[in-house]
Parts: sequence; structure tokens; C-alpha cells
Amino acid sequence: MNKQPNYIEAFEELQQIVSDIEKGEISVDELSVKVKRASELIRICRNKLITTESDVGKILEELEKSALDPGEV
Amino acid sequence: MTDNISHNRPKVFTLLELTQSIQRAFQQWYSGAYWIRAEMNKLNHYKYSGHCYPDLLERQDGKVVAQIRATLWETDYRRINASFLQILKEPLKDGINILFLAKVAFSPLHGLSLSIIDIDPAYTLGDLEREKIETINRLKAEGIFDQNKSLELAPLPQRIAVISVETSKGLADFRKILDGNPDKFRFFMMLFPALLQGDKSPDSIMMQLARIRRVTGYFDAVAIVRGGGGEVGLASYNNYQLARTIATFPLPVFTGIGHSTNETVVEMVAHTNAITPTELADFLLGKFRNFAEPVNEARQKLSRLSFQLIGYERQQLLEEIRYFKSVSLNHINHNKIVLSGLIQQFRHHSQNYLRESDVNIKQMIYVLKTLPVVKISQQKAELSQFISLAKKSAGNLLKEKNNELSNLEKQMQLLHPQNVLKRGYSITFYKGKSVISTENLKTSEEIETILFSGKITSKISKIVKTGNHE
Repeated sequence: MNKQPNYIEAFEELQQIVSDIEKGEISVDELSVKVKRASELIRICRNKLITTESDVGKILEELEKSALDPGEV
Repeated sequence: MTDNISHNRPKVFTLLELTQSIQRAFQQWYSGAYWIRAEMNKLNHYKYSGHCYPDLLERQDGKVVAQIRATLWETDYRRINASFLQILKEPLKDGINILFLAKVAFSPLHGLSLSIIDIDPAYTLGDLEREKIETINRLKAEGIFDQNKSLELAPLPQRIAVISVETSKGLADFRKILDGNPDKFRFFMMLFPALLQGDKSPDSIMMQLARIRRVTGYFDAVAIVRGGGGEVGLASYNNYQLARTIATFPLPVFTGIGHSTNETVVEMVAHTNAITPTELADFLLGKFRNFAEPVNEARQKLSRLSFQLIGYERQQLLEEIRYFKSVSLNHINHNKIVLSGLIQQFRHHSQNYLRESDVNIKQMIYVLKTLPVVKISQQKAELSQFISLAKKSAGNLLKEKNNELSNLEKQMQLLHPQNVLKRGYSITFYKGKSVISTENLKTSEEIETILFSGKITSKISKIVKTGNHE
């Protein structure tokens, strides 16, 4: 349910790629692959910023369920 | 009967007489006004009349040791309440300790009560302040004061459980800023409605926190948002139970309860206190920008660095091309020179060769032209020689052969039987065959003898056999 690691990982991977290019550790042969990957990671990060996946209905259902369950506080 | 009974009895008073007597005694002994400390357990404010009938009590070690009813008339209530609101930012309410000026009143109809003339807000303020400090100290002693603060906030606090009132202006501001942000960052907000001020607010807020606790997985943080409610009624945010619940809550709790006076304990223990809902919304947007900015930076860096890298490689390639071009041009030029030398040589050699060949061919043509003529004439000469020789040989040969033939003719003539017979020889025949020996001949047999001229028939009288005669 918690998708956070995805975008944090995406962000970290993105930073890694940028730093690799900065350090000149990426050859022009790999560049296209890396840039493609980085664009994908940027998309993941951007997407995280502009979309949410929460479903009120599901939360309410869960609330109802646990309210009926006396074992849970 | 009543007369009998009443006969030896002491003086009987009516209730009114007695209570009026008590009233007089109180008026005599408690004529002044007194400053008294007590807990106002219940204010009992009647909205219709505007009067209050507070329940006052005193506790020792939690046990009620004194209790009395009081009255607070409408005009006094309004004056005192206003000064409370001004100084305490709290109205007169249940459950506060007060220092009040009162007269002891006894009424035959209503009994004993304290008639409150004034209440000192400073005392209650100090008391509330002390309570607040007690709450803080208790939370600190329990080691939970900073517990919520120490929770790690998601880098993108995107899913917010909002505790507020549907109609709150603060909530509206909060939503407006988050939903209308220019960067189009998306937030998920779900309202958990609760009372946000007054004595009932701690329980109401705690109840919603308990609900949120069941679905913590769906949220990144809790925001308690209040606004437009003014400065009044915030003492409930110093409530120990509420502060404790927030301090120990498993999700970071944000507060934006909108006031400018002293921070409440709830705000102190909250993960983040933003004072107003607007500020809280800005804080959240800031978190998003903090995340978005490095992403944008990374994107810009990526494109700049890529262009740099490609540009550098292109430069390198162009240099390589230039170098290759010049090297190959040199090589071509060199080979051109070598080639043109070779062509010259070849031309020269082939001209010589052609010239030589031409001479040879001419010679050969000449030879070919003259040789047959010579040969033919040679052959002609040979042939005519041969012919003349052949003519000569043939003449001789004919003469020779002629001679031979005439000799042979001569011989043949000599050998002819007629010629032999002529010379005296004869030929004997027996039974048609010439006889050359005696063999097969028998006496008395007839033989025929041919002569040169005529023939003789004779009978064999005797046969003499000789050896092989020649």
C-alpha cells in the first residue's frame, strides 16, 4: 500500500546517475540508456508529486471493519 | 389531641420563622464580602435568563471536602466573562479554579449559597499556566514529550488525515492552498471531524485520533487545523490526555490552530506546529518543492551534462575526421605522385616496346611477304628439275625395258614346243597326259608321240626303269 520507497529509490537512483555523469563515469555509449532511465525516474518522481492513489472508500471500509472488531483499539 | 400533645412542648416555629432567623444570623455574622478559593466544578449558565448557578467545591487528595452552590447574576457574569476572555483567552467554564469575591447568602426559599460578585482572572490564569506546566513536566518525565517530533516524516507528506470542522475557515484556507498550488502537486486529504475548542474538544479530537490510528497505513501525517475561532478556548490544547495522545501518536501530527498567544502543549509536542492553517499548507508545499527542486535540478543537470558530453565527443570526432582527412589526402597525394611517375615510366616503356614491336612486325611482314615468293620459285626450280630428270629417266627406262622385252621374246620363241620339236625332241602322251617317267606305264599299252610334224601311235614292248633321272 505504501509506495514511498519507490519514489525515494527513484530519486536516489536519479541522483546517482547525475553524479556519475558529473564525474565523467558514463561513456557516450551508455549515455542514451542512462538518460532514458533518468527520464523514467524523473517521471516517477514527478508522478508522485502530482498524483495520489488513496481511496476514501477503502479507508472508510477499513474504519468500519475495525470499529466492528472489539479486539482492535 | 394536638392540644394534649402541645401542652408541655417547647416553642414551635414555622419554617419561615426559623429560616428567617438563620438569614438574620448570617447577615449578622457574615455581613461582608470574602475572597474565596474554590474549584468551579460546573458553571451552570442558563442561556435564557443569563444567570449562572455554579457548583463550587474543594478537593483534598481527590476527595471532595467542601461543596456549595453559588449564584452569578447575568450582569456580573457578562462583565467577568469578558475580562476572562480578555486576559485568559478563555471563557468562564467548568473545571477551573477561581479566586472570587462573594457574599454568603441565605434565603428562606433557596437556602445557603454564595453570591459571587467578582472573579479574579489572574488567579485562574496562573492556575491554568501551572496546569500547563504540570502537563509539560509530566510528559517530559514520561519521556514522550519529543516522541512525535522524532518521527521521521515522509519526504512527501502527501496523504493527510485532517482533524477539523467541516465549516472551519481554517480548513477551507488549508484546502484552498493545497488544492490550488501552482505546481499542481496533489494531496490527499480526508476529514475527521471534531470539535476544536472548548471543554469537549480534547475528547472529540482524541476520538478521531483513535479512528485514524486504525488506518495509519493510508496516511503520511495528521493535521489538526483550526482557524477563524479566535484566541478563545485554547486551554483544552493544554490537556494532558490530549497532549499525551498526540505525543505518542504513530504518525507525525501537524498543528495549525491559528492563534498568536502562548503555544499550547499540543502544539509543543506536535511534530510540526505551523501556527495557522495557511502556514501549515505552505510548510507541506515546501516539502514538495524541496523534493521537486532536486528532481528539476537533476533534469536540468542531466540535459546540460548530456549536451556537454555529446559536444565533447563530437569535437573529438571532428578532430579525428580532420586528422584522418589530412592524413588520407597526404597519402593520396603521395600515391598520385608515385602513380604519375609510374604512368610516365609505363608510357615510356610501352612506347619503346611499341616502337620495337613495330620494327619487328614490319620485318616479319617483309619476311612473310618475300619468303613465299622465294619458296615458290625454289619449288618451281626443283619441280622443273625433277620433271626433266623424270623425263630423262623415263626414256632410258623404256629403252631398257624394250630391250629386255625383245630378249624375253627371243627366249620365249626359243622355248616354244614347236621350236623344241623342230630340233628333234618329241612329247609322249599316255592316256592324254605327257609322260616324263616309266611309272604308271604298262607294257602293251598304247602311247601317243607328238612330233614337229605329225604323230605316232605305238605299243609299249618293254619298260626299263631307271633311277631318278635328270
